[in-house]
Amino acid sequence: MLTVRLEPPRQRPAISRRSDPPTPGHPGRRAGRDALCWGWGGLLAALIAAGCGATPGPPANTLIYGRGGDANTLDPIHTDIGEAVKVLVNIYDTLVTYDDETLDLVPALATRWESAEDGLVWTFTLRDDVRFHDGTPLDAQAVVFSLERLIRDAHPDVHDAARPYAPSYRVIQQVRALGTHVVQLQLSSRSAVLLKNLAMFPASIVSPTAVRKYGKLFGQHPVGTGPFRLESWQRDEELVLAAFDDHWRGRPRVERVVFVPIPENAVRAARLRRGEIHIADNLPSSELERLAETRGIVLQSQPGMNVAYLTMQVEKPPLDQRAVRQAIAQAIDKRALVEVAYGGRAQPAVTLVPPTMWGHHDGLEDWPYDPAAARRLLAQAATEGGWSLPLRLQLLVMDQPRPYLQQPLQTAALIKDSLAPLGIEVEIVLSDLNRHFERLMRGEHQLGLAGWSSDNADPDNFLYTLLDEDHIAEIGNNLSRYRHPEVHRLLLAAQVELREEVRRQMYLQAQELIHQDVPVVPLAHTEVRIAQQARLRGYRLHPSSLVRLRLAYFAEPAP
Amino acid sequence: MTRYLLHRLLHAAATMFAALALIFLALRVLPGSPLLARFGQHAVPAQIAQLMAEQGWDRPLSVQAASLARQILREGDLGESFARSGENVRRELLRRVPATVELTLAALAIALPAGIAAGVVAAVQRGRWPDYLCMAGALLGVSVPVFFLGICLIGLFPGMPTGQRLPPGSGFTATSGFVVVESLLRGRIDLCAAALRHLCLPALALSSIPMAMIARITRSSMLDVLGADYVRTARAKGAAPGRVVLRHALPNAAVPIANMAGFQVGLLLSGAVLTETVFSWPGLGRYLVEGVRQADFPVVQGGALVVAAMFVTLNLLLDLLYAWLDPRIGWE
Repeated sequence: MLTVRLEPPRQRPAISRRSDPPTPGHPGRRAGRDALCWGWGGLLAALIAAGCGATPGPPANTLIYGRGGDANTLDPIHTDIGEAVKVLVNIYDTLVTYDDETLDLVPALATRWESAEDGLVWTFTLRDDVRFHDGTPLDAQAVVFSLERLIRDAHPDVHDAARPYAPSYRVIQQVRALGTHVVQLQLSSRSAVLLKNLAMFPASIVSPTAVRKYGKLFGQHPVGTGPFRLESWQRDEELVLAAFDDHWRGRPRVERVVFVPIPENAVRAARLRRGEIHIADNLPSSELERLAETRGIVLQSQPGMNVAYLTMQVEKPPLDQRAVRQAIAQAIDKRALVEVAYGGRAQPAVTLVPPTMWGHHDGLEDWPYDPAAARRLLAQAATEGGWSLPLRLQLLVMDQPRPYLQQPLQTAALIKDSLAPLGIEVEIVLSDLNRHFERLMRGEHQLGLAGWSSDNADPDNFLYTLLDEDHIAEIGNNLSRYRHPEVHRLLLAAQVELREEVRRQMYLQAQELIHQDVPVVPLAHTEVRIAQQARLRGYRLHPSSLVRLRLAYFAEPAP
Repeated sequence: MTRYLLHRLLHAAATMFAALALIFLALRVLPGSPLLARFGQHAVPAQIAQLMAEQGWDRPLSVQAASLARQILREGDLGESFARSGENVRRELLRRVPATVELTLAALAIALPAGIAAGVVAAVQRGRWPDYLCMAGALLGVSVPVFFLGICLIGLFPGMPTGQRLPPGSGFTATSGFVVVESLLRGRIDLCAAALRHLCLPALALSSIPMAMIARITRSSMLDVLGADYVRTARAKGAAPGRVVLRHALPNAAVPIANMAGFQVGLLLSGAVLTETVFSWPGLGRYLVEGVRQADFPVVQGGALVVAAMFVTLNLLLDLLYAWLDPRIGWE
């Protein structure tokens, strides 16, 4: 133990002008202290000198993309994180993909495809001029390998049980190579969304050589055939992609892309304003409006293929009464919500399916905003249900913004204020994102804020995933736990219906039934907006929201 | 001294064990499944169950605790992150800790001299405007949130880099994790200068609180010493005022200052979360907070262990420093 001796200091007090000071310690100690001071001074001087130097601009022909977070893994089968997907779509290719401007499916690694008459066998013919970043040629075996990693329960080259998108590919029973560049998919049932799912990032084609070489670390050493290859990745610091010279669609025009995680919105905007980064995404409206007035910066926007909604757990009384749900729907002023919580940059939602998506029902009329009618309806429901007002409900809210819900707390506050005049006392319960969705998926809520962004640009992805009884489980995405036999029948039938118009009618009908039942209150479809340097050209927001940087270039001599 | 050190090391081991046990229990008592971070809104119950079994979370707590202890003690392995597939926590910590140490040292390089100078001036000029000015500055330093200060600094210094340890795309990877030192040793003067520039604003923001605390403790400590007999005697003997303050009084006021500085270093090392967030600094604090947010058990456990180790080591070093600063302090 440290002890302090109580006798007076060993050294003499200062009684003379001699050079030995009355300080504790001997000359060696003093020298040590001086050295420490000098060292410290040196470090401070170095910092000051560095602070006075000039700031070099970004490296030539390098696109710097500022975003809120980092990827979790770059193995396409193991993630559902948006920040990972932004990188994956630039490293990998899929068999089919979206057109550069639209949601039309066009050939990518497969030049053509055909299905048997019964729709159960699909044959894909591959390009024969494609190589992976590691030099491995693309052939049918590589495609079989990649898709089997996604669908086979126990695959020797899968080292992580988490494959969030595997259920989307469950319909694929077998994948076979029919030659060096022909692949055949055997399905367990017809699938209207097969091609759309094959265009999604989990179905990216990976290099078998690299997967075997890196094993469980493949997610940090991804090798695909995409326009960019991974050059380096220091988590939470920077992720550098380099242009792939031998890409089958030609070399990208920028030399490198650096993804930089900048968690703080204000800092991300400031760095764009200073020219330190070229693109800043996921900024709130207020920042974007300020940036729009900055010289040299332009905004891009795109109607988002997403929806924010209020889920009502229909198994919990009195939310099992349709009239109660309808009263809640009629009490929320969605136009005010869009102004308050989205800065006006969203569209009030009538149905879960976004208006930009095929299958959206544009003939549906929304429940009118009518607080007086809502109050009457609720009072009547209370009488019929044998309960009394005021009604106390919990509203679960996530603590951080989502692409479809930029200001969760403001949204929740508006809903709380809207329901108060009806006699519904709302208690807002804030949780972190994972816990929030866990509680919703377990059906622990009464009311909850949720949302969805499109995976494959198909109504099945919204209606079947979010409102079908197949997704009521211990942890399931049918958060409202809504069951309707006819809706279930329609959604299942639409999955195997290959005639587009017939299928569309099924979705329209399902949307009408859901609208009448009000298991959810669709709130808004958010615009996707980014701010970028004006001299960066060629990069256009895609309707699918995928960040594809292959065509980006700098209009003037590189910065 | 050897006995003392042994005693302290045992004490340190016990402290770290207690910290780890607390973290272990706290994480497991919290509701919710950490594995959901891997699935987001695409949860697959069967896969979650499989992962639970693989991680051993379906076993009793005692078995899990024994398994963790074995893993850490025998293999020195802190496990892999749940949220970020394939990420080795120990390797990641070895990258994060140097980033935080560099930032802490840079912040101290500013806070120590500035804080001591302000404290000395305030003490010497007690009751006059320099005193009020310094103490108002100190009050501001402890009151202004670092987060806000960081944003202000970014606006005030438009020419300074505002994030990351090096300019984007520099292509330099420091194997030791210490970018400034390693770039210098590898002859990359340009990168060393760039790394120092990148340190400036985060260090300035981070230094505000320690600077203020050091200034206040220096002032009070100096006021005590300046009233001592030997200082009065020195003055009476005609010693120059500067000499009296810097050579006679200040060294004797050093122990409380070192105590405060040490405490502040501990806090800074354990994670300057806000500064690291504002300036996108890939340090320990941000890593830990992200781990907590995602209930990423191995990250939180590993991070907490490192923080505990740093605090314990720092306390030990401080004790050694006291004895060096003040010979009246000895070992027993």
